[in-house]
Amino acid sequence: MSTPNGSGLRGSAAIVGVGTAGLGEAPGFNAMDIQALAVREALDDAGLQLSDVDGVFCANMSHTFPVISTIEYLGIQPRWIDGTNTGGSSFVAYAMAASLALQAGLCDVALICYGATLRSGAGRMVPANEQPTYEVPHKPRYPMTAYAMSAARHMSQFGTTREQLAEVAVSARLWAQKNPEAFELGPLSIEDVLGSRMVMEPLTVRDCCLLTDGAGAVVMTRADQARDLKEKPAYFLGGGTASYNRAVSEMPDLTSTAARDSGARAFAMAGMKPSDMTILQLYDAFTINVILFLEDLGFCGKGEGGAFVSGGRIAPGGDLPVNTNGGGLSFCHPGMYGVFTLIEATRQLRGAAGERQAGEVETVLCHGNGITLSHQATAIFGTDATL
Amino acid sequence: MASLPKAGPDKAFQEHVSDGRLWLQYCDDCGEAVFMPRVLCPHCSSLSLDWRPVSGNGTVHTLTVLHQRSKPGQPERQNHAIVLVDLDEGPRMMSRLPEVAPEDIRIGMRVKARIEGKDGERAVVFDPQESDQ
Ligand SMILES: [Zn+2]
Repeated sequence: MSTPNGSGLRGSAAIVGVGTAGLGEAPGFNAMDIQALAVREALDDAGLQLSDVDGVFCANMSHTFPVISTIEYLGIQPRWIDGTNTGGSSFVAYAMAASLALQAGLCDVALICYGATLRSGAGRMVPANEQPTYEVPHKPRYPMTAYAMSAARHMSQFGTTREQLAEVAVSARLWAQKNPEAFELGPLSIEDVLGSRMVMEPLTVRDCCLLTDGAGAVVMTRADQARDLKEKPAYFLGGGTASYNRAVSEMPDLTSTAARDSGARAFAMAGMKPSDMTILQLYDAFTINVILFLEDLGFCGKGEGGAFVSGGRIAPGGDLPVNTNGGGLSFCHPGMYGVFTLIEATRQLRGAAGERQAGEVETVLCHGNGITLSHQATAIFGTDATL
Repeated sequence: MASLPKAGPDKAFQEHVSDGRLWLQYCDDCGEAVFMPRVLCPHCSSLSLDWRPVSGNGTVHTLTVLHQRSKPGQPERQNHAIVLVDLDEGPRMMSRLPEVAPEDIRIGMRVKARIEGKDGERAVVFDPQESDQ
């Protein structure tokens, strides 16, 4: 049955289990190995068995047919599989796709998973097989070139400063220092970020995400089943996706992303607005991302993101906690980060995030970004009080 | 079965720019200029696209400079600037300014297209316009 803005999905499903494995470095293991360990941990967390899983959602950069290789490795024969690959945003998009499949009865236990061993494997990002034909002759370095071009334009157009970009990296580090699983825990100041090695102007190495190994898994069920499981459910309240372009040169506006639409769709489904969000998990592949997404998702005006993040507003103790696990900048970034936004959202909603728990968290907005600002996915989760 | 244009758009682009000028596709129905080359107009879905030589004038919309680390014992590697240029005719393209030092390129700079590269692998690069030097 059709409902306005897809609102029939609101509260219909929930994350009931989360797991991670191989965060940081996992030498001697491949992507499927550590993914399977994360899957087992997520199922144990939910009190479910691998044999209960009948829906699988995954993408990666190491396998041509990721979801097929995954079901083979896990030894399961799910009724429903979805391998839609929109880059690192895929996993946030899967939260909505899984809710839809669960509501339709196409599956009863949905597994969203990811694993990669980029650090101990190749030691670099695995580039996509095909890159934009009319960009390649000019020797861009993907994905960084696209984000650097957006950052340079944002600085030129709105007066955003490198100090403001650095503030995003420092805030992420301060959160990471409260997360024992984070990869980078050392002190980091704005001066440290500005003084670190310039990689692609205006971005230094500290404006760029980590390159780690790591796997994450999330288990979702319909809300009625979720209530009977071990842990407090993280209810799916709204989701949206949007994409305008693959290549950065085809992006209609270098400083406005499709997050404007994915966010508006998610808020419409949830019947909520930005000020209803307790905390945010924004895919921070580069420092500029957080500024762009705060603007495009409606937390501040266009061009105001730099000022918004200043003075520790998104850091521990700030008004709006963002990336409470330390994010892709300081926690982990195994090539595609999206699934970790869902995992951290769930832990915060349970009140189980340890030293980094951001107080009483009622709602979390997760935002995934794919490829080179090419695809945006937003998902909003809440406790049972928000239903 | 849909009928095919005379040549694939990538091949047609290479053939047209071999005269040293920048050519773009123009839509016969909505009048928009189109780049990257396609078989249909992304503005109105028309299949009626024609190639035309254009001014090649444009403005640097944004840029980034890649700082490359040298390998031990190897000569120092040059920084590499990459730009997006907004053509006066509308489309935006990624490119380079091969004759300009990265630190001398700025957003808003007026530039003019030049075709570089060998047969079948030609690419559009830009030089500063004289008024902007
Ligand atoms: Zn047209």
